[in-house]
Amino acid sequence: MNGDLAVELKDVVKRYHEILAVNQLDLSISTGEIFGLLGPNGSGKSTTLKMLIGLVQPDQGSVNVLGVNVQKDPVTVKQLVGYVPESPRLYEFLTGIEYLDFIGDVYGIQTVEKKNRITEYLKALQLEGREGDMINGYSDGMKQKIALISAFLHKPKLLILDEPLSALDPRSARIIKDFLHQLKTQHVTTIMSTHVLEIAQAVCDRIGIMYQGKILALGNMKELRRMSKLPDSGLEDIFLKLTGTDDIRAVVEELAK
Amino acid sequence: MRWKNVLSLMQVERKSSRLIRGKKLTKYRENRFLAYWPYWLALGIGIAAGVLAGIIYNFATTADPELLNLFQEGTLSVFLSLPTLVLIYSLVFTMMQQIRLSGVKISSQVPYWLPVTWQEHTMASILASLMGFPLASVVGIISIITIFSLFVGQVVVAILTSLAVFAAAFMASATTEILRILQVRFIGAVYKSSGRAAVWIRFAGSLIFFILFYIGYFYVTSGGAITVIRTIASAQTGAWFLPFAWLGITLYSFAMGNLLLGLIFTALSVFFIICLFFIATVLNKRFGLYEPPAITVSRGGYAPKTGILGKIGFSTTESALLRKDLKAFTRRRELMTIFIIPIVIILVPIMQSIGQGQAMPTEASTISLAITFLLPASVMAMSLGSFMIGEEGQTVWRIYASPISAKSLVKSKYVFIIFFSLMTLAITGSIGFIVYHPSLRTTVVACFEAFFLVFALGTISLSNGISGADFTETPRPRMIRQSSSLVNLGACLLSGIAILAPFTPYLLSSTLAVFAPTFFGGLFLDPFLALVVSAVIALVLAVIFYRIALSNAMKLLTKAEM
Repeated sequence: MNGDLAVELKDVVKRYHEILAVNQLDLSISTGEIFGLLGPNGSGKSTTLKMLIGLVQPDQGSVNVLGVNVQKDPVTVKQLVGYVPESPRLYEFLTGIEYLDFIGDVYGIQTVEKKNRITEYLKALQLEGREGDMINGYSDGMKQKIALISAFLHKPKLLILDEPLSALDPRSARIIKDFLHQLKTQHVTTIMSTHVLEIAQAVCDRIGIMYQGKILALGNMKELRRMSKLPDSGLEDIFLKLTGTDDIRAVVEELAK
Repeated sequence: MRWKNVLSLMQVERKSSRLIRGKKLTKYRENRFLAYWPYWLALGIGIAAGVLAGIIYNFATTADPELLNLFQEGTLSVFLSLPTLVLIYSLVFTMMQQIRLSGVKISSQVPYWLPVTWQEHTMASILASLMGFPLASVVGIISIITIFSLFVGQVVVAILTSLAVFAAAFMASATTEILRILQVRFIGAVYKSSGRAAVWIRFAGSLIFFILFYIGYFYVTSGGAITVIRTIASAQTGAWFLPFAWLGITLYSFAMGNLLLGLIFTALSVFFIICLFFIATVLNKRFGLYEPPAITVSRGGYAPKTGILGKIGFSTTESALLRKDLKAFTRRRELMTIFIIPIVIILVPIMQSIGQGQAMPTEASTISLAITFLLPASVMAMSLGSFMIGEEGQTVWRIYASPISAKSLVKSKYVFIIFFSLMTLAITGSIGFIVYHPSLRTTVVACFEAFFLVFALGTISLSNGISGADFTETPRPRMIRQSSSLVNLGACLLSGIAILAPFTPYLLSSTLAVFAPTFFGGLFLDPFLALVVSAVIALVLAVIFYRIALSNAMKLLTKAEM
């Protein structure tokens, strides 16, 4: 495996009964890269992200993360990765601070370090004053902040974020975006899935567009524009053209009838 | 009120059980006949039982015509008592349904933003509470009495009874609905005013509520039930001032030919049902959207605890899991019931013996000792073992996504099981010691046996709990698959028998010494020898099943499918 690669998927296939979720996927992501995984609903994005952390086992192919085979040594991979699922379910019976304390202990962070990091993150994401409340009393945005903090807390080398900015207020979303760029300078790799194409365009170094379990297009904005033959367009137009869902006008006109 | 809306809302409630039945949801098509199988089954059983009773009636009265009057009178008195009986058990079962629903994570209730009136919502909620066992039993009762009435010639009374039975079930469900709303509002107010103590108030309050409810339930459904029911059925006419007895009085008045009184009580019953529905609707309208306030557990900055777990050899991961589980079991209401069952197991027989005015035995019997020393701790180990993994629910992704090894997971869960089971043994054993006064030797043996059972049954249940973990949370947390739960019960039963088997010669010699003192009076077998053999069996079982639990945990974490 190439030492500069943070993630390497080779010929990966995943089926859910008759549904082919991921179809012979090959993907390599370099260390320190911010990679955006886009695609329509059901295109295989979340399944791919889950395979990277061992939450879904591929039926075929190999998944290597930070030089470790996920199937062979999942615990080591999990120690190195910070993960936020699409709809993070947290322990609602814990308070925010208890949840983060639990996460810190699970990742084996030293007590003083854990305290400092938790305090810092809570302050940055404006959760101070509510950390002692049970999570079941939190709004969706507050829960998302706790999920994000729990992914950052152990200073992972790879961040896997499924819709990380959903439900966040603009200030917190901006902090997270800038923070990801800051982490990039420390060689932390980020893989994020999002439906908000402006975010992907603004944050990601490279973007992969998935469709029916395969990578349809891969590259930076310049490369994607060239592939789609839309030289001056934004990511939204490129995405719609590449995924064959550019019949928007016809659909809208049909609905308006 | 649009009845179509009410029916649609009820359908939502009925269909919510699809998720827990593990249906294949892709290309799902419902079989309309099978969807209502409990009611068809109740109808079938009811018709068969009615026909059977009718045949017996015909056979008996043909053989001995003098039995005719006896049968007629008996049938009438049963019919007259049915509305009150149905009212009582519907109240108990709809309340139990509400208790089960207390752990619901995602409500299947209608979204409040739909154009549904509070009357429709309340009506649907009342009727939905009846669905399942209460409604099936009403269907069964009605079909029995209708068929049987054809044989005994009391069709009119049977029809009136059927109507009254339906009304009684509705009355019970409406009462439960009122109590449910008031309870939610009351609890919310208590949390709000109690601040940081809310967690412990909720824990203690829930324990007390469940204990009182279950004691009442077991008391009514066991020996005391018949007495209570007989008393109510015979004295219901005297209880005219109680609105809940009005249905029974209505039926009694019609059956006795007192039409005026019958009509008056019919009107009163209808009025009371309307009042219950009105109160439930008003309360729903007032408090239906009430959100209990967030509970604040701590204030101020973060102060991590060093904890004693780390000092006694647990890794930070294991300590974190143990602390998390402790909080789960003291804060999640559906898990609190696990602590209640062992208490109820010993309280019910003690209360019943007190209720029957029996003197406490000075020398403890084997069964009493088994109930107080062995059973609660064993049940605790079994319950905790089978639920410890499944209780993670949908948050299990956190375990899957964290660097937690199978060894750490099993170790932390097993220690939790042992700790709480031994706590239970300490509490129930103390109660047993105070109530039954066993000898010191018996107490020591019973404590050690309970100890062995806990260690062995804990591993067996944990291994089954891991392999059969069910993380479904809708409409309520399942925690373990039904099949695995049954397998676990069988395995624990067999293992329990195996662990206790070395005591068979001792028990036999004691029993024989009582019945034939001349031959067996001098025979004495040392129970401590049996204790050693029992310990070896328990140890072997614990080691084998701990390894199985480890292997199951490894598979769970490797598969980690979400």
